Amino acid sequence: MEKKKSSALRQSFNVFLGLAVLTAVEYGVSFIEFPTVALFIIGLFKAGLILNYFMHVGLLWSDGGKHK
Amino acid sequence: MVIFSLGIIRGIVGQIVGTAVGLILVTLIRLLMGLPAWKAEPAMIIGALIGAVGFMIGVGALSDWFKWMGGKETPMHHGPPTDKPAWTRYFSVDYNHKVIGVQYAVTGILLVLVAGSLALIFRTELAQTGLQYIEAATFNTLFGMHGIVMIAGILLGVGGMINYLVPLMIGASDMAFPRLNAFGFWINVPGAILVISALFMGGWDTGWTGYPPLSVLAPMGVQAFMLGVYLVGISSIVGSANTLVTVAKMRAPGMSWFRMPIFVWAAVATSIIQLTATQLIGLSFLMVTVERVLGMGFFNPVLTAHAIEVGSPPGNVVLFQHLFWFYSHPAVYVFILPGLGIISELLPVFARKPLFGYKWIALSSLAIALVGFLVWAHHMFTAGMEPFLRIPFQFATMLVAVPTGVKFFSWVGTIWRGKLEFPTPMLFVLGAISVFLIGGLTGPPNGTVTTDLYLHDTYWIVGHFHATMFGGFIFPFFAALYYWFPKATGRMYNERLGKLHFWLILPGFWVQSLGQIAVGLLGMRRRIADYDPALGIQNGHVWITVAGYVIGLSVLVMIYNLAWSARKGPVAAANPWRSRSPEFQIPSPIPEHSYAEAFVITGEPYDYGLPGATYVAMNPSAAPAAAD
Amino acid sequence: MSASAISQAEYEQQESANRLGLWLFFASEAFMFAGLLVARFYLWGDTRPHLDQAVALIITAVLLLSSYSMNRAEVMIAHDDRKGFLNSLLITAALGVVFLIGVIGFEWQGHIRPTDGAFGAVLYGMTGMHALHVVSGIVFIFIVWNNGRKGHYSADRHWGVHACAVWWHYIDLVWVFFYPALYLIGTAQ
Ligand code: HEM
Ligand SMILES: [Cu+2]
Repeated sequence: MEKKKSSALRQSFNVFLGLAVLTAVEYGVSFIEFPTVALFIIGLFKAGLILNYFMHVGLLWSDGGKHK
Repeated sequence: MVIFSLGIIRGIVGQIVGTAVGLILVTLIRLLMGLPAWKAEPAMIIGALIGAVGFMIGVGALSDWFKWMGGKETPMHHGPPTDKPAWTRYFSVDYNHKVIGVQYAVTGILLVLVAGSLALIFRTELAQTGLQYIEAATFNTLFGMHGIVMIAGILLGVGGMINYLVPLMIGASDMAFPRLNAFGFWINVPGAILVISALFMGGWDTGWTGYPPLSVLAPMGVQAFMLGVYLVGISSIVGSANTLVTVAKMRAPGMSWFRMPIFVWAAVATSIIQLTATQLIGLSFLMVTVERVLGMGFFNPVLTAHAIEVGSPPGNVVLFQHLFWFYSHPAVYVFILPGLGIISELLPVFARKPLFGYKWIALSSLAIALVGFLVWAHHMFTAGMEPFLRIPFQFATMLVAVPTGVKFFSWVGTIWRGKLEFPTPMLFVLGAISVFLIGGLTGPPNGTVTTDLYLHDTYWIVGHFHATMFGGFIFPFFAALYYWFPKATGRMYNERLGKLHFWLILPGFWVQSLGQIAVGLLGMRRRIADYDPALGIQNGHVWITVAGYVIGLSVLVMIYNLAWSARKGPVAAANPWRSRSPEFQIPSPIPEHSYAEAFVITGEPYDYGLPGATYVAMNPSAAPAAAD
Repeated sequence: MSASAISQAEYEQQESANRLGLWLFFASEAFMFAGLLVARFYLWGDTRPHLDQAVALIITAVLLLSSYSMNRAEVMIAHDDRKGFLNSLLITAALGVVFLIGVIGFEWQGHIRPTDGAFGAVLYGMTGMHALHVVSGIVFIFIVWNNGRKGHYSADRHWGVHACAVWWHYIDLVWVFFYPALYLIGTAQ
């Protein structure tokens, strides 16, 4: 149990880190000439991370009911 | 006081109290901020919102949720009231989907009656040139109110059919979220009260579409109208989510997607639209609201000096039309898809033949719903929209005719060489097809840019959409009322009065609709209180008005028939139409919890007239193993 | 959702219906937020107002942090760590309040007023609608925290926590698209 918990917390932190890095990249990208497309793609990546790891969108399909 | 045991009375008291609280709150805040104490519109908006919450608290639609928030638990199911007469449950919060379905349908009929009466007033005015009975401003309010109250009535009627029928047809004990279901119904009541109260706030003159800049400048009535629509929209959203979950999760064993009754497919397609598109009309009305009270210029082309200083671009009225029609075009399919589902549902029963092309019909509902999202700008060909959008939207519009045509083919194919029977529901189904044909044929000329430039904003358009809505909703809805009446009440309606109703409304409607189309082509503008006698259309207007009264009369006949028969009519058999649908295999009226035992689906739904075909096995233990 | 008398299987069945319902609501709301984005691109085109980039970056970071602590809260209740769960919830709510202070106390005090043409309307419309959702999320967190404090929720049964968490992440998700649309895309005027 404790081990599973700490690995879940580690994953949580990694996702957070990924999102933070991507946000920083967004800010940097905004200085290039036409950033819109790049920003949109990075946004999609961030959304994917949130949907998958934080919101557990997969449970909608694999619905055993529980999320551990 | 015994009267306070009725939820609706408590709700209305709650709405009045809430509104007063809102008015006082805004006034106090303004006093604290050192502003002049009274400003009508912000006070009215906050009053209306708190009033709506007050209604929902008063009626009791939030009670269980409040308990859950406090961590208390409530029983999953509430039965009929034990301490009060049974009829009171229809006037209070009740979680049974059949009760809620009836509440929806009856409220819908009431709103349709109100809206119809308003129409008769301004139709009387239009029967002659010049102004006789009402002023131009009143005329404007009346047709706007007619339009939006009808739309609310239709949405409630749709909700009634879906809530009553879907759980029965898929063999679910109830909707997935009974409390949300009750909430979704009751929020309509303060919504309708608000819309109608616009009459006493100066009315408004934009019609049901609420285009800025007129709606930004209109009297405060427009605000009441928009807030009311907002509440009705909430009902659409929560109701459709509920329907989708119910269908996805609660079908009887053996009922694969392609063995669902066709009406359930229509309900799914309708719900997809309601769930998503409704947000956009809400947003567009919200933007008008904040432009009115906070001066946020989404749609205002004029810039303040400070706005120019910060380099802001101006607002744009066309944005409103994009957002508005992104809902309001798909919304017309919300009105008609359930009705078309009823047509496909009843035709095989009365033709005693399988439904022609079941899969095509099922998928055509979905296709109409999805393609319907891509055509909204055909309402804006003359609006000063970006010109390059015209042709794509013209062709997308024509594309919708394809799945609609599929439905027509299937209906004709089902009727073809059937053993037709003609009780009242079947008459209404056939009448619906004839009327919908008028509506369908007048659509493509509106979707073609070249012709629409002439037809736009004429009475032709009025003729077009009345024919689609009568053919797609009103006629099938009446068919459904007659068809499921014995199931719901356990008594039979009077067939002769039913036929009288039909033979009044069908010619009445044809005259009205063709008359509208004709005067439109001859130059009659829509939303205008008066017209030039030189147009030579006064006779046409008289015909339309008289036909309107005939339609109104026929609806009164129906209401008398149903009200009388519900108490005095002959006792109905369990399955008067020899239907194969599951809800007809149980007693009439349907017991509190519908199915005593879960059933199993063992065949195709519409194999009428095929010897040995089975669909529902009511007693699964005795039936052959379920084939999926 | 209610009635502890039901079996675990029934609970999970109800939970799966609840989950679908919640996600359908997300889909619905997505259309509203998308409508606001459409308004932004329709009215602003490739321009945008001069806004304080530091404020924007800070509130974005705060919201992201709150999402992280919310995820921690859910992980903890799923492993029966009630204390950590409650604390993480409180941290999340506090970060949410900081975000609101950033929007209302700093962003809205800049030189753009709501009445400033399309700049004002869209800026206040988008941040206002988003802030309203943050408020609803904070209220939700408080309700869940209060129930958690009273001993509700367990590793096996915590749909309420899950719903609250997913709702919070959804609000963050919206900001993922609002932040670049408001602050990064287009040339500042
Ligand atoms: C063959 C299919 C259809 C086509 C091609 C079509 C096309 C159109 C077009 C292009 C307009 C805009 C006309 C204008 O204002 O200049 C219009 C108006 C309208 N249509 Fe249809 N339509 C079709 C079916 C329907 C259906 C099934 C309904 C459903 C009830 C409907 C309801 C309406 C309404 C309410 C309006 C008027 C909106 C307003 O301006 O107030 N139409 N139609
Ligand atoms: Cu349309």
